[in-house]
Amino acid sequence: MTANFCGRTRREFLWQTGGGFTGVALAGMLDQPFFGQSALSAEGAKRVFANPLAPKKPHFDAPAKSVIFLYMYGGPSQIDTFDYKPTMIGRDNETIAVKTFGRGGKKNQGRIVEPRWKFQQYGQCGHWVSELFPNLAKHVDDIAFLHSMTADSPIHGSAMLQMNTGKVQSGSPCIGSWVNYGLGTENENLPGFVVMLDPRGGPISGAKNWNSGYMPAQYEGTIFRSQGTPILDLARPAELSEAGQRRLLDTLREFNDDHAVRLGNDSKLAARVASYELAFKMQASAPEAVDFAQEPQHIQEMYGLNDKRCGTVARQCLLARRLVERGVRFVQIYSGGAHNDDNWDAHGDLKHNHDLHAGETDQPIAALLTDLKARGLLDSTLIVWGGEFGRQPTAEYEKGTGRDHNAYGFTMWAAGGGIKGGISVGTTDELGSAAVEKPFHVKHLHATMLHQLGLDPDRLTYFYGGLDQKLVGVEGAEPIREIMV
Amino acid sequence: MTPTALRFLVLGLTLSALMATDLRAESPSDADVAFFEKDVLPVLKANCFACHGSEKKLQGGLKLTSREEILKGGESGPAVDLKKPDESLILQAINYDGIMMPPKGKLSKSQIDILTKWVTRGVAWSEKAAAAATKTHDVPVVDDEARNFWAFRPVVRHDAPQVKDASWVRTPIDAFVLAKLEANDAHPAPSASKETLLRRLSYTLTGLPPSPKDVAAFVGDQSLDAYEKVVDRLLESRHYGEHWGRHWLDLVRYAESNSFERDNPKPFVWRYRDYVIRALNADKPYDQFLREQLAGDELDEVTPDSIIATGYYRLGLWDDEPADRPLAFYDGLDDIVATTSQTMLGLTANCARCHDHKIDPFTQRDYYSLLAFFHGIKPYGGDNEILRFIGDATARERQATATADWEAKLAEVKKQILAVEDAIKNKLPGGEIDDFKFDGKRREILRKQRGKLISKDDHDRYESLHKDRNDLERQRPRSLEQALCVKEEGQPRDTFLLLRGNPQSLGDRVEPAFPSVLQASNAKPPELPAHREGSESSGRRRVLADWIASPTNPLTARVMVNRVWQFHFGRGLVRSSSNFGYMGAPPTHPELLDWLASEFVNNGWKLKPLHRLIVTSNSFRMSNAVTKSEISNLKSKDSDPENDRLSHFDLRRLSAEEVRDSILAVCGNLNLDKTEGPSVYPVIPREVLAGQSVPGRNWEKSSPEEAASRSVFVHIKRSLAVPLLSAFDAADPDSPCPVRFATTQPAQALALINSTFANEQAALFVRSLRREVGDDATACVKAGLSRVLQRAPTEREIIRGVKYLEDNVQQEKVSADEALRRFCLLAINLNEFVYLD
Repeated sequence: MTANFCGRTRREFLWQTGGGFTGVALAGMLDQPFFGQSALSAEGAKRVFANPLAPKKPHFDAPAKSVIFLYMYGGPSQIDTFDYKPTMIGRDNETIAVKTFGRGGKKNQGRIVEPRWKFQQYGQCGHWVSELFPNLAKHVDDIAFLHSMTADSPIHGSAMLQMNTGKVQSGSPCIGSWVNYGLGTENENLPGFVVMLDPRGGPISGAKNWNSGYMPAQYEGTIFRSQGTPILDLARPAELSEAGQRRLLDTLREFNDDHAVRLGNDSKLAARVASYELAFKMQASAPEAVDFAQEPQHIQEMYGLNDKRCGTVARQCLLARRLVERGVRFVQIYSGGAHNDDNWDAHGDLKHNHDLHAGETDQPIAALLTDLKARGLLDSTLIVWGGEFGRQPTAEYEKGTGRDHNAYGFTMWAAGGGIKGGISVGTTDELGSAAVEKPFHVKHLHATMLHQLGLDPDRLTYFYGGLDQKLVGVEGAEPIREIMV
Repeated sequence: MTPTALRFLVLGLTLSALMATDLRAESPSDADVAFFEKDVLPVLKANCFACHGSEKKLQGGLKLTSREEILKGGESGPAVDLKKPDESLILQAINYDGIMMPPKGKLSKSQIDILTKWVTRGVAWSEKAAAAATKTHDVPVVDDEARNFWAFRPVVRHDAPQVKDASWVRTPIDAFVLAKLEANDAHPAPSASKETLLRRLSYTLTGLPPSPKDVAAFVGDQSLDAYEKVVDRLLESRHYGEHWGRHWLDLVRYAESNSFERDNPKPFVWRYRDYVIRALNADKPYDQFLREQLAGDELDEVTPDSIIATGYYRLGLWDDEPADRPLAFYDGLDDIVATTSQTMLGLTANCARCHDHKIDPFTQRDYYSLLAFFHGIKPYGGDNEILRFIGDATARERQATATADWEAKLAEVKKQILAVEDAIKNKLPGGEIDDFKFDGKRREILRKQRGKLISKDDHDRYESLHKDRNDLERQRPRSLEQALCVKEEGQPRDTFLLLRGNPQSLGDRVEPAFPSVLQASNAKPPELPAHREGSESSGRRRVLADWIASPTNPLTARVMVNRVWQFHFGRGLVRSSSNFGYMGAPPTHPELLDWLASEFVNNGWKLKPLHRLIVTSNSFRMSNAVTKSEISNLKSKDSDPENDRLSHFDLRRLSAEEVRDSILAVCGNLNLDKTEGPSVYPVIPREVLAGQSVPGRNWEKSSPEEAASRSVFVHIKRSLAVPLLSAFDAADPDSPCPVRFATTQPAQALALINSTFANEQAALFVRSLRREVGDDATACVKAGLSRVLQRAPTEREIIRGVKYLEDNVQQEKVSADEALRRFCLLAINLNEFVYLD
């Protein structure tokens, strides 16, 4: 056995395999002087909390410090939003030969549903955007559009897993977990990976979309609510005042200190004591982050906080900005939840569906971009927009405008965090049905996100099941350099 | 050639023309060499060698793996100019000055500084360090050397070694442990206290805390075999199987739903869990335990239990609408190969699915030869693919009668519906007669004719017949005597090596065979049973099972005794307990491992004698605390921070299930009546259910009593974990879990201080204490702490507890009950409660 295998020290390797995160882990995380010192001190356990989420250096200097992933669950239609296909106009109901693969299986022909919204050009770059996004459209000069995205599955369950974990099977960590693992969190009083859900319900596969798979649970996403108590079990029970809780924790510590002395001040025990102090601080920090009263009126209005239609996403976007400001690494917002028209999954009435979801998100997302830019935070915040796949140019059924899923080609976009604005990369065919020029896979998007955070997608590895696992797969993936500043 | 590379080339040529090449290697100072080894080499290795190291992927003809090569340079000329080091190409490149290297992203400032310093100081080099850093790992070969690797050699039983302090040796285990300590001039820690030992025994054997009564009885028992009596009692307790069953469930990725969009429950999956618990409690020999799971349907004696055991194959993920069906089919088989090889053999065979194993002597052919044993298995699917009737003849008859009754009832309703329809059929107008041919249209047509061709009363009757029919169709009698199990296609499929793991690229055809590194080089392929006409299975899994469960298999017994050791001591003799390959951690006590393996097999693969042997040893009875100071007194290089030598007992945090079960137990609410059957559903907070696409779906409601059953009986839904269990690192069931994490994080503190569960349990704790000792504060504190600490509390602790109650009453102005409730909440948060020493 060599001393340094696959880039990991023997110690790291040990605690990832044999020792779990037990004693060996702490001995590894705390440096040796501490180990000796704490063991020697006779009185009072040292309260050093070796926070596994302590900030870590990236592989290289990079523009982005955090990511906001605006997840359009269900799969928005590219040709109705950002992938302008003028030749489709006027061809409604025309039957054409086109290879498609959706929940309805593989087909070789279909009936065109022409784009249901008008497009117009915006900004210096002149990018075409449909009237679904009148506000967001004003930001095209800050946005890089990826029109040639592809995924391995056109089925929600597996495609969601791939967009979040890189794999079509469950069991692997999400990209937010990878970022947490690679970079830690800048603010230990808040979770490093935050997920906000649509009030209509979670996405298909629920927690699998933010769980840490084979990594320890500390890397999984924390559900954050924009109203009420933000995090599970964060609020003290009603009958316990803050002073009462403090008294409880202080007495608890007296017992724990006696115990620690009896056990030679084991660092594991000190760590657990410290984790209670951290929890205590989180009880104050997290509610502060959702205290929107601190925001001036014009900001609240810009996001649409009190707007009936977009109020929820407005709160979430504003909260995302506040979390990023406070050092949270990875924020994921779900637009759409549950099933059918409660998300972007427009199998029935396309017009109704996309009007609803675009209407809920257009103003808040535009405001988020404006706000971040005004605060100088856009350069260090990578924004990514998109769903698990796109939609077909043709109709799913004999009648109606519903479109089936499409993983052969779809649009996502990125902004900020060292991404070049006002450009488009890759194209789909004239129907918008499949990527033709520069097709990109989900793993390329993931590689790009990691790269912008200073993480080398090929070097960010975690040893599990006999393999150096990577978010982008064992074969690695190149980031999309065309969209980098 | 890219524009960048072209510039590099042109620039390089110009520079090299201008300078006189100097290849003389000056002798660098020791400090420079040390700097190179410690700081420079890691940067080069991590950022440069991939493209400027190995011959295979060499870019621009530039190698940076020797000083000579660096000075010689590549297509663009020398990388370093010793005359004008500041202008060296390599420095321009890393500063992104015209050339941009590495292309993945600029190095950090500190890395650039390191390389700059190194170049300007003359490119100090160390051949030895560089050679070690650039050594590539060749794909391992299967040869006699590989076969002689410690884990692949036959188990050799060594005699227990001679030791100086023979009086410490209680079982042969102690001799092995002590010999290693003595060899390092170290001593074993003294025995832990009786209370500590009882607590340790109770958790290690049953996963439950001892009651104050158990503690008093043991402390008071002065007989010589008091300890052994407790060991026997605990090993006979059914809670033993519940606890050790949970260990096995981790290893076979046991879950009760399929994951993916629907994440539907697996029918009758709990029978597998019950089988495991039963098998452990009955001390079923481990070889038989494995045979039943792998081939329970192909054994000489097939029993309901052996059928249930094959549920082993059905515990994994299942995507009911995969985008790529052939790939999904092989994903399912890969899951079985991975689980079987890691769990039963300690091999990461799954790494050889797409190519030869990168580390272990395990070829891609080996992988597909192993897969071939499983190739006849029907993929997971509907009831016909995965369920089998396991009832006796009477049950079978009962089921047949119920089905016949049901069929008759349904036929009768259908007949009556048809009678109404027939009566009206010929009176219908033209268009409707055609439509009436379709079963689905008739109801609609009759609705239109209500009050016309058919009277309202008759139509009502007709509609109610339809309702009866629908109800009946949903009530097809489903036997409860079914098991989730393996089934095979009649004829086994041909197996091909899949190039790069792609089901569309078939390579050579392979036959079922055991991994070649575990076979003599001239071994014949295993004999397979001839295919029998009408037989439901190929008999291949039986062949594999017999080989795995054989006393001569070098891995099976070693891997299992190591797991048993791990669950007693917190870590295996081999720490990487599912990886006995080259990458695994070597055993800290190799001879002990082999001795245990041979003892295990000699005892008929029975686990209980093995447990007894281990827990009655002095090695297991050592205390945790004392030798800590001894460690710190040693010079750091001699110390043993990971306790590889086993000089003391390692402190460990309770597992997720132990934490939950212990809270329920000390608060007086643990329901120990639940011993089998469908799982229970503790309350999951609404906020957590909101993460589901249909909140609450497939999370049923259990009564509070049922919900307070042991955690091994809690439903395991892949996409919805019980928050308390997941916070304390319960196994992720998507793949086998050999070692639990034991993280420390604030979410755990929040769950134990603020959650409804913790606060409700604390309230129930109060009621239970009041019932037991009444209103006296001191008595309550004493009784409460006795339960939580599983020892008699000290005077100081009791005084502190009573003062806490008084302070709450006086200063927080709360009732005595609320004060005690807070104390109970505090108690279940104690480190001593959550850590086992």
